[in-house]
Order: sequence, then C-alpha cells, then structure tokens
Amino acid sequence: MNEDNESGPPILIWFTVLMFIAAISAIFMYVPTEKTEGIIQRIMYFHIPCAWLAFFAFFIVFVCSILFLWKKDREWDIYAHASAEIGVVFCSLVLITGPLWAKPVWGTWWVWDARLTSTLVLWLIYIAYLMLRMRTDAGSMRARYAAVVGIAGFLDIPIIHFSVLWWRTFHPKPKMITSEGIGTGMANEMVITLGISLFAFTLLYFLMMEQRIALEKMKDEIDRLKREKLYSN
Amino acid sequence: MREYFNHVKAIVWKDCVTELKTWELFSTMFVFALLVIIIFIFSINLSIVNSYDVGPGILWVAFIFAGTIGLNRSFMLEKENGCLQGLMLTPADRTALYFGKMISNMVFLILMEAMILPLFMIFFNVDLVSHLGPLLIVIFLGTLGFCALGTLLSSLSSHLKTREIMLPILLYPLLVPVVIGCVRMTGEILAGKALATQLKWIGSTACFDIIYIGVSLLTIDHILEE
Repeated sequence: MNEDNESGPPILIWFTVLMFIAAISAIFMYVPTEKTEGIIQRIMYFHIPCAWLAFFAFFIVFVCSILFLWKKDREWDIYAHASAEIGVVFCSLVLITGPLWAKPVWGTWWVWDARLTSTLVLWLIYIAYLMLRMRTDAGSMRARYAAVVGIAGFLDIPIIHFSVLWWRTFHPKPKMITSEGIGTGMANEMVITLGISLFAFTLLYFLMMEQRIALEKMKDEIDRLKREKLYSN
Repeated sequence: MREYFNHVKAIVWKDCVTELKTWELFSTMFVFALLVIIIFIFSINLSIVNSYDVGPGILWVAFIFAGTIGLNRSFMLEKENGCLQGLMLTPADRTALYFGKMISNMVFLILMEAMILPLFMIFFNVDLVSHLGPLLIVIFLGTLGFCALGTLLSSLSSHLKTREIMLPILLYPLLVPVVIGCVRMTGEILAGKALATQLKWIGSTACFDIIYIGVSLLTIDHILEE
C-alpha cells in the first residue's frame, strides 16, 4: 500500500496532467476549426474519447465479472465495481456532450438515432448494475449477482447495437476508420489531436481506476478492523 | 438425461398444480395486461391514429408489464416458507431448476397472451385471424427471450430486499432489442407483410433468446448458491 503511494500514483498523475495539457492546447490552439460545423466541432475531441472510455470500462467490467465468477476472488469484484462507476461517469459525459453538439448542428438536442439510443440504453444498464450493488449488502452475494448482471449487460451491447441500427440512424458516419483506411476522412491535425485526446483520457481511466481500487480496499480494511477490534467480544 | 427431463417436468408440474389451485398468478397477469391496454386506449385517440401503427407497441407493453408481475410472483412464492431452499436441497441440477421455472413462467405468460389477443383484436378493430401463424411465431420468440432473461434476473432479485423494484430496473434496459424486434415484426405482420421479409429481426430475437439461455445456464449456479 505504502509503496504504491510512493512510486505508483505520482508518475501516473503527472503523466496524465501533462497529456491533458497537451490535449487541451491541441484542441484549442493547434487544430483548425472545421469548415461547416464551426467551433462547436471541437467538442468532438472530448466526446469521442469519453465514448471510447465508456465502452472500454464496460468491457473491463465484463472481463472482471467473468474472472470473478471463475476465481471467486474479491480483487476482481473490486475492479469490476470501480470500472463500472468510471464507465457510467464517462457514459454520462457522452450523453451530455452529444446534445451540446447536436443543438447547433442538427438544430435539436436529441433525436432517436441509433447511436444515441444505444448509448442511453447502455447507460441505463450500468445504472441498474450500480443500483443493484448499492441495494445489496456487501459480501459474496452482492459480488456474484453484480457479476451476472455485468456479463448479461455486456453481451446485450451487440444485439442492442444492431437492433437500434435497423430501427433508425442519423449519426455522422465514422470518419476516423473508413473503408478507405484509417484517418482518411479527416485532416491530419484533427487525427493527431484526437489521438492525443484519446491517449490522455485513457490515462485518466487508469488513474481513476487506481484511486478507486485503493479506496475500495481501504473500505475493506476498515471493515476488517472494525470486526476485529469492535465486535470481537 | 432422462432423469434431467423428469426433474424439469416435476418443477413445471408443481408450478402448474399450485397455479390450478389458486389461479392467482394467471388472473393477476391477465387483469393487469387488460388494464394496461385500456389505459393506453384512453391515452391515445384511436379515431386519429391508425390502430395498426400503435397496436403492436401497446400489445407488447401489456405483455411485458404483466409478465414482470408474473416473474416477480413466481420466485416470491418459492421464497415463502423456504420452498427455494427445499428445491435446492433436492438432487436436481440447478439448471434443471432454471429450465423448470422458465418453462412454467412461459406457460403462464403464453396462456395470458392467448387470452389477451382476442380482446386486443376487438378493442383495436385489428384483424389477427388471417395472420395468426406468423404472429404466434413472433409472440413465441419474444416470450422465450423475455422468460429466458426474466427468470435469471428474477431468481437474482428475489434475494434482494427491494425485489419488486429491482427486477424491472434490471430487466427492461436489457430487453430493449426484444421489444424493438417484436414490435417491428408484429407491426409488419399486421400490415400484411410476410414474416420472411423480417429475417434480420427474427435473427436478432433468436440470437437474444439463445444468448440469454446460454448465459443463464452458465451463471445460475452462482445465483442459486447459499
């Protein structure tokens, strides 16, 4: 624990801070303003990394849930819990930055487009996951139930994706990875800025994970000490 | 294998006998579904909107709301008097328990749906008889998906203090693909299109059914564990 505090976090924190300075200066100074959408297009450099992090975090929940049911080790439960919380935060940010962009560009805050709908459903799934965790007493039961929901929730994502895609879609087509190759739909500066931003946000994810895991372990430790010192006789 | 089927059969039989004695679950689900449909009829003006457009959605909302009541009730009955404990002490496999509960949930739900359909036809002035075959396939696929996931989640939520609230919160977001698919298919069938034009929806709903039966079989051991 102490070793972590001395060597682990500071490097990661400083690296993340540096990357964010780089990302923000790239977003506001380096990258040119998009021709048709104007200044508002810069929100994309926050929107896409948040979306990527949300999906990544939920994938980690899925993997950790499987590992928990397999190994029955509290460690994996903590990871899944931490990742789900971070995922919900970034998923909320996606749902906030999206309408902010859509209002001036599409003229409306919200349309029932495939990607918006599936992100909203995804958000609801993991809100339910966190509620389940909140409403259940700590212990192996909570961990097992949460893991089952974590697995069931992630496996639903592809089916939700396709069903709302066939339902309706207006979202801008992917520009980064198209059939012509990676990054051909965008100017070089934009690709670089997006890359820096993605990297900065990914670092932020690991930083938050580290903090959240340490917090949860501290809680466990307090519980253990309470049981030992307070309730023993 | 034969023994396994006997276990499943015994659980389904037990649920049916209990139900035949009280008719509690079935009557609640049926009246509730009917009420949902009637409330929707009050909230929309059928002389303005086309009942072929709104009908399928209302029908499925009624099925799913009433089905949720059924799911909640079915595991609550097991929790009372420690019946679930008793079932888990029997040498039956946990997956047999799951299949038994799922099939009995499905039987009640399908019975309820069979009673609701004629009323739906009368209230909405929709012709179902000429499309009955494809419609039944769609209803079967949707109900299977609902019960596959619903039984898993209700077995999980029945252990919680806030079980009646948690089940719909967990279930409905996950159920979105089934709802979209089934409403779309029902709408197209009522509009007179062949089911064969809806292959992608059949595929996605069937995938959902298979995935969630699979997930349940793999994880039910971890839920029913005390």
